[in-house]
Amino acid sequence: MSHITGAIQDVANNILSYSKGPSPVEVLPSPADQFGHANPIQKQPTWGEIAPLLETAEVKARVADLLSRYPVAQGALLEVLWIAQDAIGWLPHEAIRWAADVCECSAPHAYGVSTFYTMYKHVPTGRFLLQFCHNISCHLRGAESMLEYARRVLDLKPGETTKDGLFTIVEVECLAACGNAPAMIVNDDFATNVENGELTLKPGECLTPERLDKILQWCRDRAAKYPKEPPREVLGGIVKGHGGHPGAPGATAKPQVSDYAPPCPVLGVNALVDENGATLTWKGAPEFTELTVEKNANGTWTEVGKPGVKDKQFVDPEGKIGDEYRMIAVSGTRTAKPSQVCKAKAAPPPPPEAPAAAPATAKKVG
Amino acid sequence: MQDSMKVCTGNFGKHAQSIEAYKKLGGYSTISKSLFEMSQFEVIDRVQRAGLRGRGGAGFPTGMKWSFVPRNTGKPVYIVVNADEGEGGTYKDHFLLLEDPHRLIEGLIIAGWALGARTAYIYARGEFLPCIESVNKALNEAYAAGYLGENIMGTKFSFDIFVHRGAGAYICGEETALINSLEGQKGQPRLKPPFPAVAGAWASPTCVNNVETIMSLPWIFSHPVEEYTKMGTPRAHGTKVFCVSGDVKRPGLYEAPLGTPLMEMLTSEEYCQGIIGNLKGVIPGGSSCPPLLPEECENATLDYECMASLKTMFGSGAIIVFNDTHNAVDILDVLGHFYSHESCGQCTPCREGTGFAKRVLDSILRGEGHDGDIELLQGISAGFGGTTICPLSISLGGPLNVYTRKYRADFEEYIAKNPNHAEPRLRPTVRLGAYW
Ligand SMILES: Cc1cc2nc3c(=O)[nH]c(=O)nc-3n(C[C@H](O)[C@H](O)[C@H](O)COP(=O)(O)O)c2cc1C
Ligand code: SF4
Ligand code: FES
Repeated sequence: MSHITGAIQDVANNILSYSKGPSPVEVLPSPADQFGHANPIQKQPTWGEIAPLLETAEVKARVADLLSRYPVAQGALLEVLWIAQDAIGWLPHEAIRWAADVCECSAPHAYGVSTFYTMYKHVPTGRFLLQFCHNISCHLRGAESMLEYARRVLDLKPGETTKDGLFTIVEVECLAACGNAPAMIVNDDFATNVENGELTLKPGECLTPERLDKILQWCRDRAAKYPKEPPREVLGGIVKGHGGHPGAPGATAKPQVSDYAPPCPVLGVNALVDENGATLTWKGAPEFTELTVEKNANGTWTEVGKPGVKDKQFVDPEGKIGDEYRMIAVSGTRTAKPSQVCKAKAAPPPPPEAPAAAPATAKKVG
Repeated sequence: MQDSMKVCTGNFGKHAQSIEAYKKLGGYSTISKSLFEMSQFEVIDRVQRAGLRGRGGAGFPTGMKWSFVPRNTGKPVYIVVNADEGEGGTYKDHFLLLEDPHRLIEGLIIAGWALGARTAYIYARGEFLPCIESVNKALNEAYAAGYLGENIMGTKFSFDIFVHRGAGAYICGEETALINSLEGQKGQPRLKPPFPAVAGAWASPTCVNNVETIMSLPWIFSHPVEEYTKMGTPRAHGTKVFCVSGDVKRPGLYEAPLGTPLMEMLTSEEYCQGIIGNLKGVIPGGSSCPPLLPEECENATLDYECMASLKTMFGSGAIIVFNDTHNAVDILDVLGHFYSHESCGQCTPCREGTGFAKRVLDSILRGEGHDGDIELLQGISAGFGGTTICPLSISLGGPLNVYTRKYRADFEEYIAKNPNHAEPRLRPTVRLGAYW
């Protein structure tokens, strides 16, 4: 058992306390240990051993598709690691190095990324990875006893694999199926029951010992039927017809043209009349380079002024109640359609004089 | 609630996953001439008038968020859909993606038009493979039908959507961490400013929105604005998908107008049909929100303002109910475990504090608590305020503070189990293997 020695910060009091000799704080296995990130004895395959799994035409096509989606190749790193894990079953060091090469980043970076995320496996696991949620909603509905039951029937501790290599149990955080609490995932599928030979997750259906038995039986049947898990084509899913990210290798997409949409008209024009004439207000927009206010004079729209694009209001001294106004905006070289016509209304009376502020209460002395 | 008034879940149970079925139910009606005749400004204005607020947790007005995205900077604009749902109790995005992927695509096209985006990414958490399958299938159909790709429906507008699969890290739900993850880095939040709206993914303007936020858009654009603003409260319009879990008779996803009374949600026939056992507390918005005591629940309504007035948060609309068979130490220990597991480790108060709190809680739960532990936990919570990059630390800090106050008796009962509880605690101790 190892011990942390040295300074331990007492966060509560912000007092540094120094332990004399070994501290009673024992080292926690990090959560990442579930998938063996810190397992030094894991035997690593050589590149020659895993290359046949990664250098297939299918993987190449997927990788090319992925690289076309991101402006920088490194964006594809998570997905490429998924592809490697999907092909090999876990992530040996050489696979991470391969992913780093593909995504044009350094191997240490890729290794750091792969150990940050909890779903990348750094040791082989059983064929069926049973992920039990033990977060709050599942905990309230008996996740603990479900896990206890699973451990008992499989004779396993979390993180271990059964001798037949079929099952590994891990505890995970909320799986976003809390309405089905307690919930679990078998490999990539949510499962609370088996129906017609398929794993199901139906509204309101939760895991029970009987249903878990059915799920385990489903797994065993599947292992007997398919010696190897059939690949799911969706991993890194190729969607047909997309153009990729403009500028990425293999992409056909071109950047968005800036004038794809019509230019912005002025919105929210409002005109209120008081003794100074009609005051127009509107919603400004950064696109505007020029604004014109027009007034309806017996059926023809005539310009009454050009407020600045940063102005908040415009006053027409001759404005009367019932006058019709509209505004026209120009954005660069493009003129927008006129704003909605606005009829000038009487300004509401100013709010009644606020009562004089109460005298500040005398400061308490003491 | 009538299906026609349901903004996001109207197609649930109607097998709307295929494009034909979705169109038969009225889908893609907004992707038409009337959208393409609108300027960007008008689209954003309409969202602002509808008063749509972000459904990811913070409740920030979506239209205003969009208006912060600068135009014509010469850089592309990105829209990223946040489908990294991982907060305890939240599961709406999971089923929204499974049941109605085309609605997300339709909403994204509207958002893309408003922001001038060329590329959108849907960041789905790693466990959501069934959802990714559903979305990829829908994307294939949408490309084939000409709703996506180059020059959509004869306009100059081109738009592509990609799904990006995460790999299991709750913190990637935080928008800047999500952007880092999208760039192929560790999902660690960035210091703001610069805000993502100005310099997000690949230093370009980026808008991160929750799945439900984007999926509200098709309904908003196919109905008069007044119909949307009519629902809800004066300050929070529209409906919300509530995820109810825990000790209720019928847990599930329920779409209801904002401002629905909490007890109606929990007890009415239409929704959860009652509580199992005696109510002890309700967490109103996901595991990071402080709980409400039964007496506080009586008059509580489900909206941002009421929850704020009760000193908790509306959050993501995840209502977790617990009855008196559970004790608060146990619940808080689960939360402590979760947040210490998910801390990204950048900030010392968060990395050390969440783990420290968890170890203290573990020891209380084992009957090794000491007098003063309650104050110790509250002290840890106080150490989080304003000292960390993202609010994950406060997500534990709030509960640490409130559970120990509201359920103090539970904690004292557990501490009293330690025969030596009056001795001061020197170090939090923990057994090897406590993670399992
Ligand atoms: C620790 C943390 C986790 C978060 N997780 C999620 C999440 O899982 N899903 C989500 O939509 N937003 C999440 N958010 C909120 C996002 O940062 C962001 O506010 C949201 O995606 C904005 O979208 P909206 O405006 O549509 O709500 C999280 C925030 C924090 C601080
Ligand atoms: S508060 Fe925690 S999760 Fe957030 S950035 Fe800091 S260490 Fe990471
Ligand atoms: S708490 Fe278990 S799935 Fe959410």
